[in-house]
Amino acid sequence: MGSSRPIQISYDGLARVDGSARFAFGDTAALASISGPFEVRLAAELASQATFDVSVRPLSNVPSTESKSQAATIRSAIAPSLILTKNPRTLIQLVIQTLSPSPTPRWTDGLLAAMINASSLALLNAGSIPMRGVVCAIAVGRTRNGDLVVDPDEKTAGEVTQGGCFAFMVADGAGLESNSTTVWTNWRSQELGTFDEDELIEAREVARESIKEVYATMKSSFLPNDDKMDI
Amino acid sequence: MRPPSPSIPEKEFLNTALKQNLRLDGRSPLEMRKPTLVFGPELGWVECSLGKTRVVANVEAKMVKPTPERPFEGIITIHSEISPMASSEYEPGRPSDEEVTITRMLDKVIKRSDAVDKESLCILAGQRVWHIRLTLHFLADAGNMLDCACLAGIVALRHFRRPEVEVIGDDEVIVHSPLERAPMPLAIHHSPFCFTFAFFADPETPPILDPSQLEQRLSAGTMSIALNAQKEICVLQKLGGVPQQTEEILRLVKVAVDQAKELTMTVDARLAADWETRHVEVR
Repeated sequence: MGSSRPIQISYDGLARVDGSARFAFGDTAALASISGPFEVRLAAELASQATFDVSVRPLSNVPSTESKSQAATIRSAIAPSLILTKNPRTLIQLVIQTLSPSPTPRWTDGLLAAMINASSLALLNAGSIPMRGVVCAIAVGRTRNGDLVVDPDEKTAGEVTQGGCFAFMVADGAGLESNSTTVWTNWRSQELGTFDEDELIEAREVARESIKEVYATMKSSFLPNDDKMDI
Repeated sequence: MRPPSPSIPEKEFLNTALKQNLRLDGRSPLEMRKPTLVFGPELGWVECSLGKTRVVANVEAKMVKPTPERPFEGIITIHSEISPMASSEYEPGRPSDEEVTITRMLDKVIKRSDAVDKESLCILAGQRVWHIRLTLHFLADAGNMLDCACLAGIVALRHFRRPEVEVIGDDEVIVHSPLERAPMPLAIHHSPFCFTFAFFADPETPPILDPSQLEQRLSAGTMSIALNAQKEICVLQKLGGVPQQTEEILRLVKVAVDQAKELTMTVDARLAADWETRHVEVR
């Protein structure tokens, strides 16, 4: 149980894009940049909504199949929060750069959560794309003795038997029945184990609890104050 | 998506100002932006900024079988793709002219100039060598990404430490973890730095060092010199553009030599300061 590793948020202010943000859970960091809505090439143009294009770049080596897969998952997690119909025939380009070395191939969910959070912050930093809510993500794992760990680090990730990343869309006072709704998850069992619906629901509620802290940190990074932005 | 060409007022203002030796950001014509180096928690990770231009460099090492043509040498590969994060004018998957120029220049400056000793990367001749992978990420393009990338690449290679290996007999290799034995730095012969000058069509405009984004777009030609503090020129590249007198070129080479000496001192100081902060326990 418990909370995630210390969160660090910073806004790079990259010169040639509309919005950019850096998000880190402990040492696992990602940088996202967003540009748009701007001109789209004819082949990718959609008549009734904006084209949302996501690309992921790993720290080492050229982007591979795994990067394409991560880009597709991040796209499906973030898309529910964007109102794309407001800007038809335009392009919204999201580029995510991994800043920390690849974790063990077994457990990439911490990095995935950092990437989703960085993307949400970049979208808010740009302020040019209408949004329904803010997507926040966190990784949760269940260790061998049945305990649920929120945002496990490299060492604990080795003992996880089932785990995954949960993404919630949070909207203050938006009239949804609860403040946050689950938009995406990839909960799965790691070894030759199984899980049932009750275990999944339990993990989801633990994640929902800890997302409140992540969301509060993200929100406070936008408030003007004299202290440092990261926690 | 190509950004629109600079407007006529921008063009005229820049050209008129440069004729009077004034640059838009207040620098003098032969003044470089001050480089900032930030090192990451891992060895071999560095973020280099020249003003608003930013590049991240990362070095990784793994053991592989060497190529049959060169069984005694290690392998160095450099990846330098420009993503749309640098600017929306760079499309993913299609190398732009700038990317091709940068890739070729990095290859000449870092690989062909023998900055890193490849023979020291050999572990077991013909069977195992180190493969050093340098990856460069261009985070923001505010002009002169080439110099920033060369600087980031060389600093990352100097910052990186590879695990120590022990060879027993003919075929046994033990790789020690960083916790057992302190990792070793790469054998670097010399540190070349790249300096780019931009020329303009009007003969009265002086050449400028380290052009910004607008200056680069409006320039009529550039010349890049890669040299080290020992006054050895590794690469001198002038791809067409405005013809220049020989005396002018020699003058600019002298300017680059002075800059290289200064930059070497700055880089050495930063690397030493960062190394102090890392705990190296001797047991």
